[in-house]
Amino acid sequence: MLERESTAGGTFLDRALLNPIEDTNRTFYYVVGALLLLFLVAVGMYAHQIWFGLGVTGMNQPMTWGFYIVNFVFFIGISHAGTLISAILRLSMAEWRRPITRMAEVITAIVLAIGGLHPIIDLGRPDRVMNVFTAGRLQSPLLWDVVSISAYFTASTVYLYIPLIPDIALLRDRGAKPQWLYAFLAWGWQGTPHQHKVLDRAINILMVMVIPIAVSVHTVISYIFSMTLQPGWHSTIFGPYFVVGAIFSGIGALLVVMIVFRKVFHFEAYLKEIHFAYLGNLLLLMSLLWFYFTFSEYLTGFFGHEPFEMKVFWYKFVGPYAPYFWAMVACNFFIPVVLLTFKKHHTIPKVLVSAIAVIIGMWLERLIIIVPTLANTHLADPVGIYIPSLVEWGLFLGGIVAFVLGFVLFSKFFPLISVWEIQEGRERSVKDVTERLQRYLPVHQQHA
Amino acid sequence: MNQKLILALQIASLGAIWILVTFVGIWILNLLQLSNDLRDVPDATLAISIIAVPVFVTIAGVLTYVFVGLQKGKRST
Repeated sequence: MLERESTAGGTFLDRALLNPIEDTNRTFYYVVGALLLLFLVAVGMYAHQIWFGLGVTGMNQPMTWGFYIVNFVFFIGISHAGTLISAILRLSMAEWRRPITRMAEVITAIVLAIGGLHPIIDLGRPDRVMNVFTAGRLQSPLLWDVVSISAYFTASTVYLYIPLIPDIALLRDRGAKPQWLYAFLAWGWQGTPHQHKVLDRAINILMVMVIPIAVSVHTVISYIFSMTLQPGWHSTIFGPYFVVGAIFSGIGALLVVMIVFRKVFHFEAYLKEIHFAYLGNLLLLMSLLWFYFTFSEYLTGFFGHEPFEMKVFWYKFVGPYAPYFWAMVACNFFIPVVLLTFKKHHTIPKVLVSAIAVIIGMWLERLIIIVPTLANTHLADPVGIYIPSLVEWGLFLGGIVAFVLGFVLFSKFFPLISVWEIQEGRERSVKDVTERLQRYLPVHQQHA
Repeated sequence: MNQKLILALQIASLGAIWILVTFVGIWILNLLQLSNDLRDVPDATLAISIIAVPVFVTIAGVLTYVFVGLQKGKRST
């Protein structure tokens, strides 16, 4: 049911979307307090690491990368939820996108900030990040990462902000507090036809722009691995494989967020079963694509039977990492395929279980890509052992807490579902879709 | 809050975006110069710079376009 409100200008139908901002209850403050506490624990652990050095982690020789780089790749992958999915849905004029895009864009901005910090956490001396600016080598894939992630973060923040302007102006006009913040961020929006035209044009430019940037980000991240000659990493399909995995995990994260906040804020009238069915189909498609890429990747390595490659191969398939490898296959392929192929009944619970499975599976995939290759070097060293320490687990959980905290705080100040796009959809969608249909469908000619 | 102060802050925030773009440009120029001095594949560095810098300029350009467009599109009161 829509929550109506009578205003001077008529009936405002979407009161429910502003409830989290205008009628914040006590639970919100308890949740934020608890999350802040957990976040501070993670900050304390990081301070411990800075003080005592990377010796407090499970990293050693040859295991020079561990959880931090796993989480870096994982979080940046999740970021594809947003901007890319939102941009593709906007570009394809999918009308059902309207209640989804904002949440997707928020996910992107928050996880990019979290993911982007992980390589700095991975540095024993964080001050050395300045070397990137003073003495970086722009022909190194590591520097490409810095450039592409910075560009993606800037583009996706702008892509989140610009469609937010009319909603910020709505809050300004309703007297939401802090008034100065909404007045500052609204940029003088009054909803005139000229302003709508400017906003539409800017969104169109950005949505076309962010798609190649998003694709480049995860391609470039894959280059960190594939540009080396390490077994298990040196692969020509790593770029698209990483992009597919990123979109896959991004859709999973988006679905979990949608289901949780739908329940918490009672958005049932906006996020309907059909949205979950459509995104579930997309998740199923990505699951099949992920399996195809994984199969191709491992079959090619197995067929070549290069000794070092096979060492890593068996380490994953039947060795110490076999439980994680097969759990990854179950989470990313079997669970989503079984649940999402038959989702006519209990759609939302099935989609939720699949989405959680995919998030876990994709994190395992990042772990499986990084650790086994480092453990089995080209040198005559014994096989490396990596056991993450409490500090690494703490910072991993800290990253998740930071994400939830960021999302909850965003929901306190801005609508999680775009109010103006919902209103625009009500006013224009039927007419637009009808016109489009008339253009697509063959015209029936009556003969005299 | 005073309307003029808000407008000044908005213009300042827009200026901050252009400062960021300028910083990115200077940073990349510095890396280009470094790779040239060290004879460290300067052509590859140049190729990446040609892609990177316009992206930031376009983002800042879009923001400026929106800000100016919204100010121009205001109802005259």
